[in-house]
Amino acid sequence: MKFSVKKLALCAVLAALALGLSTLESLFPITLLVPLPGVKLGLANIVTVFALYELGAGAALAILVTRCLLGGLFSGTATALLFSLLGGLCAMGVMILLRRSRKLSVYGVSIGGAAAHNVGQILAAIVTLGSTMVVGYLPFLLAVALVTGSLTGFVVSLLLRATAHLHLTDQSDFR
Amino acid sequence: MKKLLAPLLSAAMLLCLTACGAPKKAETSLFAMDTYMTLVAYGDGADDALTDAARTINELEQLLSRTREDSDVWRINHGGGQVNPTTVQLVEQAIRFSDETDGAFDITIAPLVDLWAINSDAPHIPSQAEIDSLLPLVGSDRITPNGKTVTLDSGCAIDLGGIAKGYTSDRVKEIFARHGIKSGTVSLGGNVYVCGTRPDGKPWNVAVQDPRGGGYACTLTLTDTFAVTSGGYQRYFTAEDGTIYQHIIDPATGYPAQSDLLSVTVVCPDGTRADAYSTALYVMGEEAAIRFWESQGSDPFEMVLITADGRIVCTPGLTDHFIRQEDASYEVQFLSR
Amino acid sequence: MKSNSSPVKTRPTPWDALVVTAVVLLGVLTALLFYTPKSHTDGPLTCVVSVGGEVVDRAPLASFAGEHTYSHNGYTLTIRASGSQVEVLNSDCPGQDCVHSGSISRAGQSLICLPAQVVIHLESGAGGPDVIVG
Repeated sequence: MKFSVKKLALCAVLAALALGLSTLESLFPITLLVPLPGVKLGLANIVTVFALYELGAGAALAILVTRCLLGGLFSGTATALLFSLLGGLCAMGVMILLRRSRKLSVYGVSIGGAAAHNVGQILAAIVTLGSTMVVGYLPFLLAVALVTGSLTGFVVSLLLRATAHLHLTDQSDFR
Repeated sequence: MKKLLAPLLSAAMLLCLTACGAPKKAETSLFAMDTYMTLVAYGDGADDALTDAARTINELEQLLSRTREDSDVWRINHGGGQVNPTTVQLVEQAIRFSDETDGAFDITIAPLVDLWAINSDAPHIPSQAEIDSLLPLVGSDRITPNGKTVTLDSGCAIDLGGIAKGYTSDRVKEIFARHGIKSGTVSLGGNVYVCGTRPDGKPWNVAVQDPRGGGYACTLTLTDTFAVTSGGYQRYFTAEDGTIYQHIIDPATGYPAQSDLLSVTVVCPDGTRADAYSTALYVMGEEAAIRFWESQGSDPFEMVLITADGRIVCTPGLTDHFIRQEDASYEVQFLSR
Repeated sequence: MKSNSSPVKTRPTPWDALVVTAVVLLGVLTALLFYTPKSHTDGPLTCVVSVGGEVVDRAPLASFAGEHTYSHNGYTLTIRASGSQVEVLNSDCPGQDCVHSGSISRAGQSLICLPAQVVIHLESGAGGPDVIVG
């Protein structure tokens, strides 16, 4: 895939924004509800979903991986990196698939992504703990995912409408 | 969307199936061979397997009991006559185990067991002279198995108590296999056979009785194997002077074994061997037991020794199958090969 | 990247409900699997502690009372068990999630310290030994 300078700059800004958001959300730990470190609200998902719609799967993936790697670098633990990478990649994969359906809105895509994110995190927890007991947390996480996924969908739909006239990319077919 | 939903739903259904399709469980218990036996089997053939197993256990008791006057062992001890080929084979096996353990396991110990009568209502502390007069009768070379008969030297007697339950567990294993049982447990008073895995696919949790208390000393996670424990902690009598005499007689001295071990658990895929070895290793004591284990070449076995000074000594093959029992407070040591 | 040629829907469609249903279904399923009592006899609880994926302690909760310390991965945590519940008393792990988890007292519950890779799990009576030798 070829990135124009404009797109590259946009990706960088979005990656930085995602990183900022994930730092921000660590101030509101969901771990009080689900005591598993590495489990997060997924505010950074807003950026991922937005990028997926505005810039396409390739760029969104690039932003996601950048965010995870940098986030891992800042937090300094391999475990945190594994959690965000597995969660993020699961979310990404599911969202790319769901995005292909013309019938789903931003809400459906982001809820699916949020749920997949949590499944990925549970997978990461199984890997690090060597115990499948953690799957017991999944129902709670999925309930949270419904809320955060809707929230993300809401924010992204606002963003998409607000930026529609900006022609952030050369694509002009969303309105 | 539908493409995504289909695998999701089918995965969900699969989970339901595995959760609901628990195999049928059958359970039976019986008193036989001077102990309490419990058999559990899972699966379609479970009921038949248990009926078959119980019948075989009773048949074997008929053959191998020392006290029944119509048993093979009685016949052997009282002047001979034809016996069942099964009995002859088992006696031959016992002689082999006796040779392997350098006499620490010996079925010809019977006269001394009778002399002490520790399991009876009237235990008796014999004089050295009494013991000395009977000790020459002990030794596997005093047995002559001969096809359909077993003859003993004059005055000798055999007791298959140290091997009969192990042999029985081997037979139950065969019966389970014939009925297609893939999951089950058999407990023949200190002799355990775990068949396959638990119905949920995990290994069986076999708890080893704590010889010092009512709880467990440790738990072994085992799959399709035998575990047999011998120890002096259950059957013993306390003399008037407070001395404790436990029931396992050392064939070398004619006295109750002065073991520095409280119990020995042997784990191996042969129930008869596990039974004979657990008794022999208990008689040997820690040092000799470890040497004996080290000398096993191509056909090793696993063991858990619980020592009188509060240690659990375990063979390395059990490392991944050993679960500590926090409340039992033993120091756990693993041997190295 | 011209794959996204469909018009973007920024308002919820009925089809979104399908995604929600799938998520709810998955949640309910895992909940059923993990939180339905395996047998009706809840019985005495067994406390199972695994460190780094290996079970190191398995004891009836009733006789597990007291403080127990586990170290792994450079972290140390102390748990306290009373006759009916277990909690993580203190831990030197960064997140303190395990300490914040409070206490557990029912079959199927677990306490998890990810940095130290310690899982404390309560099993119902069925989690005890299957057979006893000796």
